[in-house]
Amino acid sequence: MGKKIMVTLYRDEVAPRFDLCSEVLLVTVDATGHEVRRQDLVLAHSSADDLCDLVLDREVSTVITGGIEEEHYHYLRWKRVEVIDGVAGLAGEALALYLRGELEPGAILFPRLGHD
Amino acid sequence: MDQSTLVNLSGLDRADLPRILSALPFGVAVLDAERRTLFLNRALESLTGFSTADVAGVFCRHVLRGSFCLHGCPCLPQGGDCAQGACSESREGTLINRHRRKIPVRLTSLPILDRAGNFLCTLDVLEDLSALKDMETRLSVSASPGQMVGRCAVMEHLLRILPAVAQSDSPVLLTGESGTGKDLLAEALHRASPRARESFVRVNATPMPEALLDAELFGQAEGPGGVPRPGKFQLAQNGTLYLSEIADMPLTQQARLLRLLDEKAVLPAGGDRPMQLNVRVVAATGRDPEEMIQAGLLREDLFHRLNAVRLHLPPLRERGEDVGFLLAHYLKIFAAKFRKQVLGFSGEAQALLSAYDFPGNVRELRNMVEYAVMVCAGDMVLPEHLPLPLRFPQACAPRDAAVTPAAQNKPSGAPKPARKKA
Repeated sequence: MGKKIMVTLYRDEVAPRFDLCSEVLLVTVDATGHEVRRQDLVLAHSSADDLCDLVLDREVSTVITGGIEEEHYHYLRWKRVEVIDGVAGLAGEALALYLRGELEPGAILFPRLGHD
Repeated sequence: MDQSTLVNLSGLDRADLPRILSALPFGVAVLDAERRTLFLNRALESLTGFSTADVAGVFCRHVLRGSFCLHGCPCLPQGGDCAQGACSESREGTLINRHRRKIPVRLTSLPILDRAGNFLCTLDVLEDLSALKDMETRLSVSASPGQMVGRCAVMEHLLRILPAVAQSDSPVLLTGESGTGKDLLAEALHRASPRARESFVRVNATPMPEALLDAELFGQAEGPGGVPRPGKFQLAQNGTLYLSEIADMPLTQQARLLRLLDEKAVLPAGGDRPMQLNVRVVAATGRDPEEMIQAGLLREDLFHRLNAVRLHLPPLRERGEDVGFLLAHYLKIFAAKFRKQVLGFSGEAQALLSAYDFPGNVRELRNMVEYAVMVCAGDMVLPEHLPLPLRFPQACAPRDAAVTPAAQNKPSGAPKPARKKA
């Protein structure tokens, strides 16, 4: 059975803030983890509440985002949505890592000084 | 003294900047020309939850996660203007830290240039505004006519015009029965006025010897020990003086009040030099002012002075749907105060409350709800939780009649208690 993954976007990066994001990437993958559909949605305005509604409406099972307020995080978790938050990096890279099962909450994917 | 001498003398060229920045009580981020993070001081590490080692080299928008980062970054939209030192500016917003907490902050972005004007780095200074915002919220709650609530047309109109009335310095006359909220309205007027930071002095001209009242209100030129003693009017200098029942004020003092309104000056008792005062006067009465003039209790000229702005608070029985609204409003307040899970009124309790005409107005309604919530053990207020006069008006009527002479004129068997003349 496939599932839907939502990545909040800021340009080509994971949006640093869930509540200020005005674009999302919706990716549907099949049971084997292969991407079957990709959709870019531009939102009318940024709103964490509206985004939560969209997550539930589109039956998204995983949200990959940057900073998210505790209230919205727990709401989505309560609705049994997996939330991988605090991700800083390019959206494509974050998605690829997730599909490989290697994306952790708080992951910083940008090159860092003093890190290999 | 030129700049290089200053630097040499102060030793700034040899200063250990990271250590200095870390000792500062507000957050500082050092960023490169592309706004990648180079350094976070200790305060900012604590605010964001990130350490410098975690985020060195990461774009600041992923570290600060500020509302100003995505929409109107202080530097990025203006392109390379930072290098010319053109984009030093402050803005307020919020950040979401690593612990998912949204924090109000003020960001000041300062480009650092060398002596030749070449760009070195940017300092982002972040101040945590949580405490200020909390205080602002508390002050705005207490400054707003918050305690004055109402949804009926008359109250809505009153609350709508209140800010405009508050802004003027004209005297205000408040009328309305006892318990309708004249005192609250007077305070709300003061708090919404430009005088809000000054004193709000309430004067209750209770019966007392005239000379004493004179000294109490207008002060004494020579008090005990030869020191001038300020009266209520002097204490209200630059603020608001509230006369809670103008009809209680003797006619002599009314004449002096008239002089204050006319000349903005008072003459302290025993003095010969008038004292200039800047006081806004708000007066209230529970009686009909026109009737008081006819009865000789209120000077007509003073009435016309005070009547520049007249605000009338309607009795609760004329406020229609407000009874239900106020019941719910006070139920919520007292349930929280007594830490009880009282959710509402049962149908019977609601019917009893709706049939009652609340002669004591909002004050009586509030006291009834307080009592009901206090004695209620479940989640609904039942008739047995309501005060006796409300449940058995007829049984209580004779006792009421004994203490309220006006009640004796009430037709026998009338379901509602007599209205107390305020």
